[in-house]
Amino acid sequence: MIAGAIANRVRLLRFTNGEMSQEDLGVRVGVTRQTIAAIEAGKYSPSLETAFRIAHVFSVPLEDAFSWSLRPD
Amino acid sequence: MLTIPYFMLYIFNMKVDITNTGAEPARPMAYREKITWLSLGAIAVAFVPYFTIVALRMQNETALVPQLELYTIAVAIQLLVLGAGYWYLRRQSPGDAAMPPDERDTAIVNRSTTTAYYVLMAGTIVVGCIMPFSNRGFAIVNAAFFAIIVAQVVRYSVAAASYRRQA
Repeated sequence: MIAGAIANRVRLLRFTNGEMSQEDLGVRVGVTRQTIAAIEAGKYSPSLETAFRIAHVFSVPLEDAFSWSLRPD
Repeated sequence: MLTIPYFMLYIFNMKVDITNTGAEPARPMAYREKITWLSLGAIAVAFVPYFTIVALRMQNETALVPQLELYTIAVAIQLLVLGAGYWYLRRQSPGDAAMPPDERDTAIVNRSTTTAYYVLMAGTIVVGCIMPFSNRGFAIVNAAFFAIIVAQVVRYSVAAASYRRQA
């Protein structure tokens, strides 16, 4: 299997969108503040639907919010 | 026994959120995480005394253990602690309590239940396939109760650890 890592720019996007709080983003996306915190910390990978919702909240394409890169061996 | 009230206070008054990355001010832990700790606390309050009493009584084989009464009291205490805890936590954060579990909550429940299933299976094998050759009566009954409680403890412990690790 190809080893990769998911990265995200959710924290940056929140910052550039009026310092939106994790709670506000969570309410809009339909998850808890703790889940947003876990996503930002890279500890939890959201479902595809939640990822699309997050990108939609910030009006950016999915690849601007989340990216996947090969993990070097 | 003195540690139990402090443990419950820890659940209800948790203000330091170690899941916080430092970018936001510290906030209380999530409602469902509190429920997980509450469930663990209720098991500790109800079943640590139960199994302690049963183990001590069963060492002396002549002593009669009022099995059904003891178990009923333990379950009643567990339900009482859970009921009071749910009521208090709902009152504390009605918005969070009304919110359905999100995808991470569901993933945590799936992970913890799967782990507990294997523990319960191991317990069932011991109680149902091994113990009948060397034990009988309430020893087997209590071993079955113990296996169920251990599986529950594993389930809530895995869930609590997952919430703490943000996984």
